[in-house]
Amino acid sequence: MTPFEIAMPTSLREATGLLDPEDPTIRVMSGGTALMLMMKTDVFHPTRLISLRKIEETASQMGLLPDGRFRIGGMCTLAQMEHNDDLAAFAPVIRQTMRMLANVRVRNVATIGGALSHGDPHMDLPPVLVALDAIAVTEGPEGSREIPVAELHAGYYETVLNGDELIREVIIPAQDARRMTYLKCTTRAVKDWPALGVALTGVFEGDTLEDPRLVIGSVAETPIRVDEAETVIKGRSLTDKVIREAGEAASANVETIPDELGSAAYKSQLVRVYVERALRAVANQTV
Amino acid sequence: MNDQAIQSQAVGASHPRREARQKVTGRVEYIHNLRLPNMLYGKICRSTVAHAKIVSIDTSEAEAYPGVELVLTGEDIRKVMPDPYFGVMFHDQPVLALDKVRYVGEPVAIVLSKDSNIADDACAMIDVQYEELEPVFDELEALGASTFVHEELKPGIPEISFLKGVRDTNVGFPYQLRHGNDVDAAFEAAEHVFEHEFRTHPSAHVPLEPPVTVAEPTGEGLTIHTANQSPSFVSYEISRLLGWPQSKVRTRVPFLGGGFGAKLWIRLEALVAAAALLAKRPVKVSLSMEEQFYTITKHGATLKIKSGVDKDGKIIARKCNVFWNGGAYADIGPAVAFHAGMTAAGPYDIADVAIDSLSVYTNRPVAGAMRGFGHPQLIWAYENHTDMMAHELGIDPLEFRRRNILREGAEHATGTKLNTSAVEQVLERVAAGVDWGKPFDKGEGTIKRGRGFAIGIKASIAPSTSEAIVRISSDGSATLYCSSVDMGQGSDTAHAQIVAEVLDIPVERVHVVHPDTDVTPYDTGTLGSRSLYHMGNAARLAALDAKDKLDQLAKEVGAAEPGSNVPIWEIFARKNGMPVGNVVGTASFTPPGHVPPDPMTGQSPDITPYWMFGGTAAEVEIDTETGRVTIVKLVNVADAGKLINPKIVEHQISGASIMQLGQTMQEKVHFDFGQVTNASFADYKIPSMLDIPEIVNDLLDSEEAEGPFGAKGAGETGSFCVSSAVANAVFDAVGVRVHEMPITGETVYRALREAANDPLGED
Repeated sequence: MTPFEIAMPTSLREATGLLDPEDPTIRVMSGGTALMLMMKTDVFHPTRLISLRKIEETASQMGLLPDGRFRIGGMCTLAQMEHNDDLAAFAPVIRQTMRMLANVRVRNVATIGGALSHGDPHMDLPPVLVALDAIAVTEGPEGSREIPVAELHAGYYETVLNGDELIREVIIPAQDARRMTYLKCTTRAVKDWPALGVALTGVFEGDTLEDPRLVIGSVAETPIRVDEAETVIKGRSLTDKVIREAGEAASANVETIPDELGSAAYKSQLVRVYVERALRAVANQTV
Repeated sequence: MNDQAIQSQAVGASHPRREARQKVTGRVEYIHNLRLPNMLYGKICRSTVAHAKIVSIDTSEAEAYPGVELVLTGEDIRKVMPDPYFGVMFHDQPVLALDKVRYVGEPVAIVLSKDSNIADDACAMIDVQYEELEPVFDELEALGASTFVHEELKPGIPEISFLKGVRDTNVGFPYQLRHGNDVDAAFEAAEHVFEHEFRTHPSAHVPLEPPVTVAEPTGEGLTIHTANQSPSFVSYEISRLLGWPQSKVRTRVPFLGGGFGAKLWIRLEALVAAAALLAKRPVKVSLSMEEQFYTITKHGATLKIKSGVDKDGKIIARKCNVFWNGGAYADIGPAVAFHAGMTAAGPYDIADVAIDSLSVYTNRPVAGAMRGFGHPQLIWAYENHTDMMAHELGIDPLEFRRRNILREGAEHATGTKLNTSAVEQVLERVAAGVDWGKPFDKGEGTIKRGRGFAIGIKASIAPSTSEAIVRISSDGSATLYCSSVDMGQGSDTAHAQIVAEVLDIPVERVHVVHPDTDVTPYDTGTLGSRSLYHMGNAARLAALDAKDKLDQLAKEVGAAEPGSNVPIWEIFARKNGMPVGNVVGTASFTPPGHVPPDPMTGQSPDITPYWMFGGTAAEVEIDTETGRVTIVKLVNVADAGKLINPKIVEHQISGASIMQLGQTMQEKVHFDFGQVTNASFADYKIPSMLDIPEIVNDLLDSEEAEGPFGAKGAGETGSFCVSSAVANAVFDAVGVRVHEMPITGETVYRALREAANDPLGED
């Protein structure tokens, strides 16, 4: 390992100023859980790491905004999100997801900003945030942008963030009576990277499901919102037949990538099964 | 801690592991923590291709890199080791590659620096030019390939000298066994003939402490501080390579952070020894977790098994063809082919048996010993096969086994008579463990449940030798000197209990000296569950010898009359004028009676000092929509003889079964053109707590006649039958048979779709 520099900026603005979009060997580090693995396996050799540990405190805070939305600072750890009762009341699926996500040691240091900007497709949180319609607010030299998390991922370990742009916070709109769930499927150990994640939210009006958001994570290069399956369930009551059709539509329309966790054909079967299970889970949720 | 001054029982009680407190408080010595003055760190430059001639190695840039002290290639090693090929059976593995590389990850050069980061960086500056050769990865393809991993076989020990000069083959060692009459004639006569093929994959040992060695030149000699399971062999082999007297090569081993067979024979020792002598300074090489995956694996294998059964459901003939993927160098692979091969007929009474078990060279990392020594692979095949035959014959699997099991006094396929009824007991107990024959909830809807079981047999290694020294001090405390390595299995505690029992002193009064070939005598190695039987006997005999000498001394000083209560210190005081001095007992134990098997037929009237028997039953739950198998419960039955330390034995049995469960369900080393693609714990998943089911360990109440206090080894027994028990349970649940491990959800789901005539697409 070649020696490298560590910078400790005291504000996000200062941190963005230390980045160089032309130089991929300069990166910010928040929890470091992914970056350290990349460095240990010789995939990444930094010349400069910019630690975000000392930036403004608001980056590590979260809470309800006056307008009813929920704000999560980019440096909030996953453990903070797991244990925050306001967030659990606001969007219970987050606590549900955290308990399946990695392990306590990782959750204690990994941050929401890092989890999103890393662009790793095998993650539990991104599909959940997409299904909650969350927005990433960024900070860069050209000012601030609001990017729906649904549009953040551009490909395998790629995001639409500029090289000198950082996630300042994530805003989740009010969920009201929306039901939500996240199902994770692993194919080797019980605790493992997800081979598939299915996030589903929707509003029930009586028996019928309105405004569903069905997001499939981990099987492709980015989280995928499955319009074809949403069309099947939108405005309908979740009968066995509708649920089967939705599973079929998701399976047929999500292109899965084979890897050591499973073949493409098997993952398509998993998509079918887990979409059906997610639909049953929300249908059976008590409000 | 057990601080009691007087104990009622040494042998047979669950004394706490003597190093436990030191371990959990971080005070135990591991070589990874060893730093010597003036020490250099070595980093290994490894081959990036699977099979190639080395055209050139340019080390100039690395040598010029600031902080680099020395860069060595294979040719440099010759300066201290004229014929730098090592190996426990074949002298086929170069210390650093010479002329050719044979697998991705093979050491090609080593860089030495005071700063391991500098050495690491400089490794990347070494420019190796290769002329690529056709590689061969699959054990079956290797048989007929026109490309050869080795041009010529290089047998290194007398027993295999018949292979000297053999060229143009990838078969390293062909083991064969012929028992009874012509097996093909027996198949002709059989009412039913069944033939099945199974495969197993290479898996990794991944001890949490990767291999590490420090070599220290000491004037006229060399000290090797290393994490190794066979310290006596290290001194033997390094002195052979150097052409030195064995007495000048000192090998010392403190605790190991796990071994499982990964740290047997020579790992880094030859390279680090040569580097230290050439650098004239201490040198340390610590492998990374990733490098472990390139260093040693468990054998993948293809196993073909054919049985003939008569009209009464009795197996009358068996033929096995086993092909072991041994990787690029022999290591102990030929012994795996031999040793596992000889029990391929299983614990069954079969009149006519023919076994061919071949170790095959391929361009993969070396495959060596791993907990169970090939038996988990073989039992995977023969216990799947047994259940499959039973089902096809419409006979209950338990009943079918009862009809065929090897009973006390019957002759095993090796020609050795079984001296125990343990195998029958294991069968009955393992079936009872899952209430076999009683009603069972088979599940409903998309969740199906099943249960299955399997039994297995393993011979101990033979011949092998353990030597021990026991020193009694003038205060009556004792010191045991032996070269057994405590790698987590608790041998220090068990051996101390044995010495304490013989000398009738508290276990805490026995100190165990860790392997140090300057002071601890020879031992074959800590392998194959042999330590407790072999070293246990040696320690017992050495303690008896010391006790005799003390009695003799007592006589000499007039303290031996009946009813004498002269304390030990006074015996010494009477002799030496002061209460000081020692008596020293020694022993060398090689189990008597062993007859080497006939090389053509594998037959021997005494092939093993003792047999190991194990059985496992599994209860599983299967999600039929995904194929995912959840293990609900494992029941392990083992014959461990008398239990020296019941708690340690139980931990060994469950530990082995968990390890095998990981390899059965989720672990697999993936290769892409010879390159390991999942060389980390992030991508190679060993079981976590959540993957471990309820485990019940049921130990037979037995006694091994010649074992120390009736004991015998059990470190591997729990690994034997897990895979086939799970596979049999999967079949019981959903009626499909998995022929290849790991038994992932996808494997089972594919089999289900296949069975429904609606196969899942390939990609």
